[in-house]
Amino acid sequence: MKPTRTRLAFAAALLFIGLPLLLFARAPVPSRTLLKDSLSILTILAVALLLGQFFLARTIPAVQRAFKPPRVQALHRWIGYGAITVLLLHPFLIVLPRYFEPGVRPLDALVTMLTSFDTLGVLLGLACWLLLLLLALTSHLRMRLIKRFRISYRAWRGFHALLAAGFTGLALWHAIELGRHTGWLLGGFFALLAIAGIALLARLYLPERHRPAPQAEGLHI
Amino acid sequence: MTIKSIHGCIGCGECVQSCPCDVIRLDPSSGKAVIAYPEDCQICHLCRLYCPVDAIEMSPEKTLPVITPWG
Repeated sequence: MKPTRTRLAFAAALLFIGLPLLLFARAPVPSRTLLKDSLSILTILAVALLLGQFFLARTIPAVQRAFKPPRVQALHRWIGYGAITVLLLHPFLIVLPRYFEPGVRPLDALVTMLTSFDTLGVLLGLACWLLLLLLALTSHLRMRLIKRFRISYRAWRGFHALLAAGFTGLALWHAIELGRHTGWLLGGFFALLAIAGIALLARLYLPERHRPAPQAEGLHI
Repeated sequence: MTIKSIHGCIGCGECVQSCPCDVIRLDPSSGKAVIAYPEDCQICHLCRLYCPVDAIEMSPEKTLPVITPWG
């Protein structure tokens, strides 16, 4: 059991931390100050870990078998809250280095950035930010929402999956449109992770009649 | 060429307005800033300093120190 866990954890770390860091380093853009590059790395890791959430949502039986489901759920919750916090702060982190440089004031830069409505990338970014806020709030208040609207937990989970898939599509588009490091390499990698994750999620939420009939172990009809 | 590259431009036009030498223009098709007249750049850094998303990179080999009022 233990080697499987170790192997899975190592593969996850490699896929969602190691590879994004490598692709960040290989991006054909000039490096900047330590603070700016650190903020870029933080954002890229948050995106990668958020994409990794698709694989912690009961989509891979091996993960559920190797780790106990409550542990997977806890990991899903804490990685989600952490990555969402970083991405909700993303607009503010972009202007943070302006506090330490001459030129435009951070608040002016933020206002200019958020009001550039002629640019598709900015509009996508605003839409993503709102979707992410909704995702965070509906996740945190899920029990209250289930009681208030008298819906099943399964219905909430479907809504959560739909919101996550919608956010991922828009966020990827925003990153490819405006991302400094999101060239074809890192953008392609993120797109692959997103497609794989959403496909696994879609498979999980397919209506029962489309799924193969469960078979007893060792019984082949 | 003194402005090295522009990555992640949001098309706000701040660099176009701040440039005293008309080096940068907004591309009508993409709506993003492009280096239109690189040979006219006087390395004043105003475009870089006024870009809200820090999209402009200057060539380090041709960079002059930024002049500030406090020295």
